[in-house]
Amino acid sequence: MASQIVMDRTGDTRFDNQDRAEVTKAEQRFRELTGAGFTAAVRSGLGEQRIIRSFDPTAEETLFYPRLVGG
Amino acid sequence: MSQQILLAVGWIGLALICMLLLSALSRSGAFETEARALTLLKEWLPPKQRACYERFRYFDVVGSDTGTRYRIHHGTQTNIEELSHTGQRVCKWCFAPEGNLVAGDVMLAQKIALETNERGALSVAHRTFVSMGR
Repeated sequence: MASQIVMDRTGDTRFDNQDRAEVTKAEQRFRELTGAGFTAAVRSGLGEQRIIRSFDPTAEETLFYPRLVGG
Repeated sequence: MSQQILLAVGWIGLALICMLLLSALSRSGAFETEARALTLLKEWLPPKQRACYERFRYFDVVGSDTGTRYRIHHGTQTNIEELSHTGQRVCKWCFAPEGNLVAGDVMLAQKIALETNERGALSVAHRTFVSMGR
């Protein structure tokens, strides 16, 4: 199972990345979130991460955080 | 008349109990959200940063563009210090993800932003210069 973790009130979603329908839904969610200004990051190693601009169905965990603003 | 007074007092008491219950539920929800965010933060921190955070409630990150070291303290506002090569505080930075997020989520977003897109993060941040020493 892969997961999409969103830093907001909507909570996290898990999806089976072997299931085409679930992957399509996850990709749609990815597009909606990044289109709304969220940044998507995946862990690429022990404590390392990278930003992704397009949906990666092989990523075990994708984290979305909202647009950054000055405090 | 006294019956009416007793009834009114009863209703007020009931309302107070309901308010207390709602307040307790709300607090436990907030606590749960904060705990979940801290768990996520620790999962994303490499061992050195995690150990530092658990001991001191801060951890250091290195900016992706300049190699500058930043110290992210537990918190949600003005919680980032820029450090000199000798470890002295140079200034404070303030940026955070939009929305009313809890500390664990804010710190994780700040870490990822500084380590992957330092210039982008600082371009929206507010910088403050403060006297040396904490």
